[in-house]
Amino acid sequence: MKIVNFLKQNKFLSLVLLAYLVSFATRPQFAAEAFGNSAYYFKEMMLIMPMIFLLTVVIDILIPKEVILKNLGEDSGFKGGLLALILGSISAGPIYAAFPVGKLLLKKGASISNIVVILSAWAVIKVPMLANEAKFLGVEFMGTRWVLTVVSIFAMGAIVSAIVKKEDLPKAQSSSNFVFVNQKYCTGCSLCANMGPMLFEMANGKATIKQQPMVPKQKAAVKNIANQCPANAIFIP
Amino acid sequence: MDPFALAMWVVTLILFLIALLKDKEKTLQSMKKSKGMMGNMLGSIISIILLIGLVLTLIPPENIEKALGSSNQVLSSIIAAVAGSVTLIPAFVAFPLVGSLVDAGASIVPGVAFLTTLTMVGLVTFPLEKQEFGMKFAITRNGISFIFALIIAIGMGVLL
Repeated sequence: MKIVNFLKQNKFLSLVLLAYLVSFATRPQFAAEAFGNSAYYFKEMMLIMPMIFLLTVVIDILIPKEVILKNLGEDSGFKGGLLALILGSISAGPIYAAFPVGKLLLKKGASISNIVVILSAWAVIKVPMLANEAKFLGVEFMGTRWVLTVVSIFAMGAIVSAIVKKEDLPKAQSSSNFVFVNQKYCTGCSLCANMGPMLFEMANGKATIKQQPMVPKQKAAVKNIANQCPANAIFIP
Repeated sequence: MDPFALAMWVVTLILFLIALLKDKEKTLQSMKKSKGMMGNMLGSIISIILLIGLVLTLIPPENIEKALGSSNQVLSSIIAAVAGSVTLIPAFVAFPLVGSLVDAGASIVPGVAFLTTLTMVGLVTFPLEKQEFGMKFAITRNGISFIFALIIAIGMGVLL
């Protein structure tokens, strides 16, 4: 029963395994060749994914949410895009290795456009790959493609973030118990401080958070307050 | 392992030790959280890898080479972009492949389209991307990447 449940929960894996079973039954040589072709990628995964695991822990512990929000968030502007480009370019591994990192950064306040830049740069711009490209196709080819790709990546970030909003992303199961007030947007109306005096207070004419992280029980109330904030300045990553 | 992956390992390990020294409790807690997230992805990643093997066996690089070298440029560029989206061949195979085509006198446009979708558009990794970022994000990012891969390819054709 356990196996049945596992396969039900992993439809994608079940389909692939089924394809292998069918091809193994009908053309065993084909199945063996396909499995052999996967070997290189298994090796790649074993070399990269444990590091990605540690990296997500490192980002989680060493880099405060505020720092990510400030440097890669909605208001990070061109500098944020540039940082995203550099982060993606210097990282190693296939694009799926970028998914957990991107997801974590998104959860910690990075903007969608910067995540698209990181994912794309992670996939396309690899410094060792650029050297390889120059070797086989020439420096001019590599350089021109690099410039066109970088311009495209920024354009893609802007277009995707215009189409996809944060509400469209799946809700994280273990979503955070942190709440922030964007000081730029806050108009100091003190609605939040009146509705939730336990958590919000006014300082220098702006709302601030009294205590982080909030108690999970408070979350629903805080969400409600965030929705009522006239400036949309309250933000739960 | 290429030097960049190695460097990233070293840097990550050092930072991880710093995190452990800074707050052991929180680090262990975060590892548990991360383990859960990675565990959710593992099944999909293994599926992706097995699927890559199947696709590579169904569409071997030699066939891709034939498609990229065909005389109808518009058609071969689109085929190249589709082939790049479906397959995931390592860069050290892809660059010599396109290089040999260009040396043989083929247009660079299909080659560039192929190289760009190869890494940026992932049909094989789509299920995982959908699981992690949602359907709308995955469709939009891959779709727009596909269009931009063609734009980059045309741009290369015009510039070079």
